[in-house]
Amino acid sequence: MEKFEPVIVAFCCHYCAYTAADMAGSQRLPYPANVKIIRVPCSGKVDALHIIKAFEKGADGVYVAGCLEGDCHFKNGNERAARRIAYVKNYLEEIGIESERLEMVMISAGMGQRFAQTATEITEKIRALGPSPIRTATAL
Amino acid sequence: MQNSTRLQSQKNKVLVVGGGLGGIRTALDLAEAEKDVILVDRAHTIGGLMTQLDRTFPTNNCDLCTLSPHLSEGSRQQHIELMTMTEVVAVKGSKGNFTVSLQTAPRYINLEKCTACGECLQAFPECVQFNAGLDHRAPTCMRYPQATPQAFSIDLASCTDVQALVAVCPAGAINPDDITTTREVGCAAIVLSPGAELFDPSHLDYLGYSSFPDVVTSLEYERILSASGPTAGRLLRPSTGQQPKKVAWIQCIGSRGLQKGAGAYCSHACCMFALKEAMVTKERFQEDIETTIFYMDMRTFGKDYELYLNRAKNDCGVRFLRSRPHSIVQPEGADGLSITYTVDDSTTQITEEFDMVVLATGFKTSAASRRLAAETGIEMNADFFPVTDIFNPVVTSVPGIYVAGTFEAPKDIPETMVQGSAAACMAGADLPAARKIPDDEEAVLPRERDVSGEEPRVGVFICDCGDNIGGVIDVASLVEDAARLPHVVVAKAEGHGCSRLSMDNIRQTIVDEGLNRVVIGGCSPRTHQGKFQELLARAGINKYLLEIANIRDQSTWVHSGKPAEALSKTRDLLHMAVAAVVKAQPLSDQSLPINKNILVVGGGVSGMTAALQLADQGFQLYLLEKSPQLGGMARKLVKTIEGGDIRDFVGKLIERVEKHPKIQVFTRALVVDHSGMPGMFKTGMQSGPQMFYRQLEHGITILATGAMANRPATYLLDQSPAVRTQIETQQFLTDQPETVRQWDNVVMIQCVGSRVPENPNCSRICCQAAIKNALAILEINPEARIFILYRDMRTFGFHEEYYQRAREKGVIFSRYSLDRPPVATTAGDQVEVSFYDPILSRELTVVADALCLSTGMVSDADSSEELAMIFKLPRTADGFFLEDHVKLRPVDLPVPGFFVAGTAHSPKLIKESISQANAVASRAQTMLARDAINLGAATARVEGKLCAACLICVRACPFGVPFINADGYSEIDPAKCHGCGMCVAECPAKAIQLMQFEDDRILAKVEQLFERIPV
Repeated sequence: MEKFEPVIVAFCCHYCAYTAADMAGSQRLPYPANVKIIRVPCSGKVDALHIIKAFEKGADGVYVAGCLEGDCHFKNGNERAARRIAYVKNYLEEIGIESERLEMVMISAGMGQRFAQTATEITEKIRALGPSPIRTATAL
Repeated sequence: MQNSTRLQSQKNKVLVVGGGLGGIRTALDLAEAEKDVILVDRAHTIGGLMTQLDRTFPTNNCDLCTLSPHLSEGSRQQHIELMTMTEVVAVKGSKGNFTVSLQTAPRYINLEKCTACGECLQAFPECVQFNAGLDHRAPTCMRYPQATPQAFSIDLASCTDVQALVAVCPAGAINPDDITTTREVGCAAIVLSPGAELFDPSHLDYLGYSSFPDVVTSLEYERILSASGPTAGRLLRPSTGQQPKKVAWIQCIGSRGLQKGAGAYCSHACCMFALKEAMVTKERFQEDIETTIFYMDMRTFGKDYELYLNRAKNDCGVRFLRSRPHSIVQPEGADGLSITYTVDDSTTQITEEFDMVVLATGFKTSAASRRLAAETGIEMNADFFPVTDIFNPVVTSVPGIYVAGTFEAPKDIPETMVQGSAAACMAGADLPAARKIPDDEEAVLPRERDVSGEEPRVGVFICDCGDNIGGVIDVASLVEDAARLPHVVVAKAEGHGCSRLSMDNIRQTIVDEGLNRVVIGGCSPRTHQGKFQELLARAGINKYLLEIANIRDQSTWVHSGKPAEALSKTRDLLHMAVAAVVKAQPLSDQSLPINKNILVVGGGVSGMTAALQLADQGFQLYLLEKSPQLGGMARKLVKTIEGGDIRDFVGKLIERVEKHPKIQVFTRALVVDHSGMPGMFKTGMQSGPQMFYRQLEHGITILATGAMANRPATYLLDQSPAVRTQIETQQFLTDQPETVRQWDNVVMIQCVGSRVPENPNCSRICCQAAIKNALAILEINPEARIFILYRDMRTFGFHEEYYQRAREKGVIFSRYSLDRPPVATTAGDQVEVSFYDPILSRELTVVADALCLSTGMVSDADSSEELAMIFKLPRTADGFFLEDHVKLRPVDLPVPGFFVAGTAHSPKLIKESISQANAVASRAQTMLARDAINLGAATARVEGKLCAACLICVRACPFGVPFINADGYSEIDPAKCHGCGMCVAECPAKAIQLMQFEDDRILAKVEQLFERIPV
């Protein structure tokens, strides 16, 4: 069997996580190419529907990356995002998708290293979980 | 570029001489503040020294990517007339009314016609000018692909067949009859920023620079590393063309008075420069290469620079040898270069072989700059740098003439940027009150085409960004792939998409192909979105019909080790961008009138200076000071090392601030709340003994909250009467000279509480403070014996000369290391200090009448933490405010409308704080020159008929913007919306959309990503 390469969507807020990703770039810090970034103004903008749609379409993992606690450019968007993620995780369990496939992470603009590390850790975790049940099911 | 006819009005413009980084900053600041500028440069293109660097510290970023947008910005500005290949030949008149003769050498090319196609270069390489020396690759006068102006230059003397050369130009731009022209211009003020050149070590035969090809200067090494350099970025030994295994750097070549022809000063930037080169080398070649730096003192005194040094030492494996090798030799028959040296605490000589040796050459004023100084009549010092005001380093001896950058004194890029802005502030103040020019953007931009009824016609433009993208993946295959996507009409490779040439190509393609959507595959939208949006506007389509796929930062930079994965991911990113741009809709920007009042937090020297500059320009200032009186840290200081009277200076500054009708001072003031957006802030504060609350409305916020004198409980501080900090020592010397006359022994300890694990950074000011006090003690009591125990003496720039004077006067300098620090014990009213001297290799004990501790500065943690929370500003790990860009925007904070000056940014000297304060005043004026502030178009819009008035958006909005209107549905005022999109995500009816980030656009990306996944 071909080696499983997960596809992971990272919704990154413009002010912190996306900037951290750029910093990882300028510092040439490698992380797995499995992670594909979608830029949003604030992690609080990431809709539950966007996450569910990603899983429905075949994502093996999704994570939302916002600013550190208390540092949100829009006051509390990251806290709202964290609550929403917790809620969607429950929902995923209910429909038979491991909730570990979804994470909320907080990274400040200066943390290029942490960005690369987080991307690596999440990719490894999803790789260990195997393909998403939706992908497996639709493949049948 | 600007034709001269528009700028005929005399005496109300500024002449900026020198188009390097500092001059460009000065010109841009003035232009953005609606002031007219003539920018002249001797070279064919502007950009100066920085354009020749490969990377910059401390981020090890590529330079051109950060600089080139600034350069082309320079030529774009309507207020700037650019004159290249031009020199100042005569200056007459005085402040407010100078007449300057400018002489322009013939370029033999009409800039208006030249398209930089390169036909002339191919046919007649010998007649097309190029930069000799460093740039020994293809002969081209364009030093780098993003050059401004984007045009060639001809060397007619080398040309044998002029007619054939003229005929080869398809644009008819070559004009062999071009002659030297002289023009007189009037101006109110002059800013000199011609830069400096680097010391030429050719005459020092013992270094072998002229005889051994593998001995190079640090700038040449930089060129070798650079992707646009002679070896296209491959590190190769000039002698053999092989990759070197061992590279050494030798510091202080041409600096610190060490060699024949060297300046007595320290060149300020070379330690960091060498560190960067060694680190970049290690990062690229890892275990395959060994890097060694021979140094005297590592001078990493800038903001977070010590952390950079630690990273080089601990993480990158750069080897440091404290030694000053005399010579570089090549033994008979040997391939390598050998260096003989001794190391710390040893007299044994070691001889070691290296493949390449890099000489860290310092700054020197060029002959042309000396002529310029003579022509303008400004006074120069013994080192041929301008004599400047003790408290304001951009002010020369001639009123109305200012200096900035490395011409003023050796310095690095951020400090050059600060001075560039500070000079703009001073020169701008000499102009008559700014006349308001109507916004002529409409006249410049073509009418926007209505694309609403059109099918999407997408153009995809993919940059190779030199090797940054093209060196990792095959751009041609991406272009082929993108061309096959639905709606894509045209796909092209675009070299450096941000270069003038590519921008013009893209614009032309948009027009020719009737495109109505554009995808750029290149770098980050964070840095380049504005530039490409403007390009779309110039091509006549709405600027929001754009997507940028960040294929460099997110793919080729991070996956360079796995090109196949990088290619596949890049393809995904481009597909996602195309899918999303199809959904993009034209939008219009929101704008609001700007409130021109300014809030300054902090009433020290920095805050007062910035306030006065802006108040003199007619703006209303609110100046908040936490303590009961103005003056800050400077109240405790007596004199600068140059002898400037700080008490007198601060006293006068306070008096001017208190009397100024446009400055309202609040003492005992605390900021308690803050809201709004740039141009319309509201800040609540409590002030006075009663702590009355008041809300201030302002458009700009300046943070000048200072730092604190560090006071670690070590070395008997606060336990023995003989122990004082350097600040206390200076006060003591002034107040009790009688006691000082009785002193036999004085010991000073450096780096107390700095460069230690608890506070890893260098406090920058303490080495000069110790020297200053040592010299003052000897002035009072020439018999006193003074011991300075140090780790590295960091007397940068001209401070080095005071250090040498102290040595000449017999001050004893003894180095200690962190693992063997000095020990102080009480001995009655005296202190016994024991320390290990590495030169004598033995422990010494001194009974000192005074022990002076160089305790440095730390951030004012409590207040900066609170302010950072209230204003939502980032700080460094040690609590100083973090600027927007450490190189290019050193006083702008990341939140628009916020600026930082003085020691709130990092420890610094008074004159450096004043430069920053002036720089902030200049940056603030660039914002205040406009009457309205553009809020962008990323706002939330409600679809009324879907809204159920459930109030969820009203509760979700962090800024309380949505309300239920008279029609019974939610309404969001676009002028108040901050554009976070939280209401959108929460709205259960999906009645709200955030413009630019519409749900269908985000979902298009998600869906596109999984289109290709085999299931």
